[in-house]
Amino acid sequence: MANSVFGPIPNREVHEGFMRKAIEMAELALASDETPVGCVFVHKGEIIGRGINGTNASLNGTRHAEFVALAEIMAKHPQSILKDTDLYVTVEPCIMCASALRQYGIRAVYFGCLNDRFGGCGGVMQIHSDKSVDPPYPVYGGLFREEAIMLLRRFYVQENEKAPEPKPKKNRELKTEILPVNVATPAASKPSTPMPQG
Amino acid sequence: MASPVDSKAPKDFDVAPKSRMVHLKTKEETRQGNETIKVWTVELPSQDSVDLQHLRRFAKPKYLPQHVIGQRDLVKEMYAIPRAWESTPLAVMQAPATTVWEYSTPAKLRSSNRPPTLHLLICPVHVIALADLHSLLLDRVPFCSSADSWAYPLQIKQVTVPLLAPTSPEQADAWSSDYWPTFYRKTNPFGAHPATIAKAEDDLQRPATGNLGVEKAMTLAKKAGIETQCRDYGIGPGCVIMERADNVTEIIAVAGDARQKPLLGGSGIPGGQGGCNGNIMGHAVMRAVGMIGRKRLRVATPLISGRAAKAERNFENCGLDHDEKARDAFFLDLPITPLEEQYFVKDNIKPDGYLCLRLEVFLTHEPCMMCSMALVHSRVGRVIFANRIPQTGGLTAEMIRNDSGPVGLGYGLCWRKELNWQFMCWEYIEPKNKDTGNVDQDNKAEAGGGELKLMLNDNNANVSSFASTHV
Ligand SMILES: [Zn+2]
Ligand SMILES: [Zn+2]
Repeated sequence: MANSVFGPIPNREVHEGFMRKAIEMAELALASDETPVGCVFVHKGEIIGRGINGTNASLNGTRHAEFVALAEIMAKHPQSILKDTDLYVTVEPCIMCASALRQYGIRAVYFGCLNDRFGGCGGVMQIHSDKSVDPPYPVYGGLFREEAIMLLRRFYVQENEKAPEPKPKKNRELKTEILPVNVATPAASKPSTPMPQG
Repeated sequence: MASPVDSKAPKDFDVAPKSRMVHLKTKEETRQGNETIKVWTVELPSQDSVDLQHLRRFAKPKYLPQHVIGQRDLVKEMYAIPRAWESTPLAVMQAPATTVWEYSTPAKLRSSNRPPTLHLLICPVHVIALADLHSLLLDRVPFCSSADSWAYPLQIKQVTVPLLAPTSPEQADAWSSDYWPTFYRKTNPFGAHPATIAKAEDDLQRPATGNLGVEKAMTLAKKAGIETQCRDYGIGPGCVIMERADNVTEIIAVAGDARQKPLLGGSGIPGGQGGCNGNIMGHAVMRAVGMIGRKRLRVATPLISGRAAKAERNFENCGLDHDEKARDAFFLDLPITPLEEQYFVKDNIKPDGYLCLRLEVFLTHEPCMMCSMALVHSRVGRVIFANRIPQTGGLTAEMIRNDSGPVGLGYGLCWRKELNWQFMCWEYIEPKNKDTGNVDQDNKAEAGGGELKLMLNDNNANVSSFASTHV
């Protein structure tokens, strides 16, 4: 089930290269105190859209990184380009984004860690592959999974330190131990981080 | 507390007893308030554990169904050695006219005058093996070797009980007589509290003077969809979002579907080639939710707008393109018809509110999974939609109905406990006669099980033409 998204990925190095770019976006977001989720859309080996979470800027809880990147793509390309485009995102797309991507006809989705709170590609639901009027798309999880989780944990610690009444110390410690994925259930593989965006 | 009459009474009589008689507490009632014992408790993850709060932990024999009392004692069976030569064991007999096994034991003889007993529900059978439970209990009073152990031979029975809580008192009664004494707690563990639902229905069906009721809101949603459709921006669905603050309703966003409105990037009608889905961001729900964000930014106090501006600068820090016009054309979170404009320009939202927290949403159609999840992310409170969309709708939890066949995909996103937000949701039954304004409950059935209306315009859109469309 959910673990199947962590199966082997053909040409892993190529995909790691693009996921590295998504991680860089997430790192930039973290440096700006924004939720560290980053994504890039890749068409024929070229990045055509990049995104970070936009909910804080828009006061709109639906402005996820995927949508921010899609806005950039649609400014320059016909929508049909998505049929030959892959998404690389540090955290599994949420149910909303997973449905949007399927309606847009995305070719494939590569992600880092599972989103066990809202995930639409295996974490909570399987919107990418459930019976639907739109064709399904393949998902590949686990690319730089540990880094994706660490980014979220760092964000959590960072946010707590800024909070007016810091939480008890044990909650602020940066956990560096991450369970290996082959023994981790979706719940066990979650970052100990609230993940309102994804 | 004090009635208006009481409040006019002299001060001394403020707490005057209504009754001249105070019922004396019994000894047991007095004891109840003061005596405590120490117990062991442990904390368990509630998500995956079996929660049997709806079942009585201790039950008197007289409240147990007969078949539970007579259930086979597994301890006896555990130690029973099949001995073929004792083909009809004298010690075991089957009670006449029942399938219940009765073992005659020395204790049976005494049991007639032993003190009353209770049956304790221990735990699901998968938690501990029978043999382990047996040896655990056998070490304890009253089952360990003692005089009592003769009066209370350890019997362990396996009974079937309902896993989930009942949703009505009738169900609880039926389960109590069929399985085990079961509580009904006047709550609905699987959805909103019945009183909360009743309150919402009252608010919307019998609105206070000046407030917007469900019918007018639905009419407005329909109008919003027509307004964009007749400009060739969309396919007809509409959305209205209302705030209820201090019992006063305000319409804070109105949006029609605009998936066909051309984008700035060279493609004309979005998705024109390949997919005919149009601009997915143009779904009415996404647009209305976006407009509320816009309005919130406009009316925000400096603290909140400063934070948002800082977040906005992050896009530049991250080297993201910043083509505002293209972005607005994609997200369509600004008004595009006079009707939308009329409600968008009003600063009628409570400042510094959170997303769409507890707002009320009126929809001509059941939203798709994307839009349904957008409503969850936005923390809306109440959602009412007019037409189910069985092949793409995200809110309907049922999949099949006996009378009408398939009704939905079964996602039921409005109330999923694995998600961090739930909201109440209704399907709207349109009044049969628009002039009377009476909601006719039979309307839906007469129209053939959901195949009705969505009289969006005089053009050919109807529910069946939406059957495989995401709304
Ligand atoms: Zn998302
Ligand atoms: Zn939709």
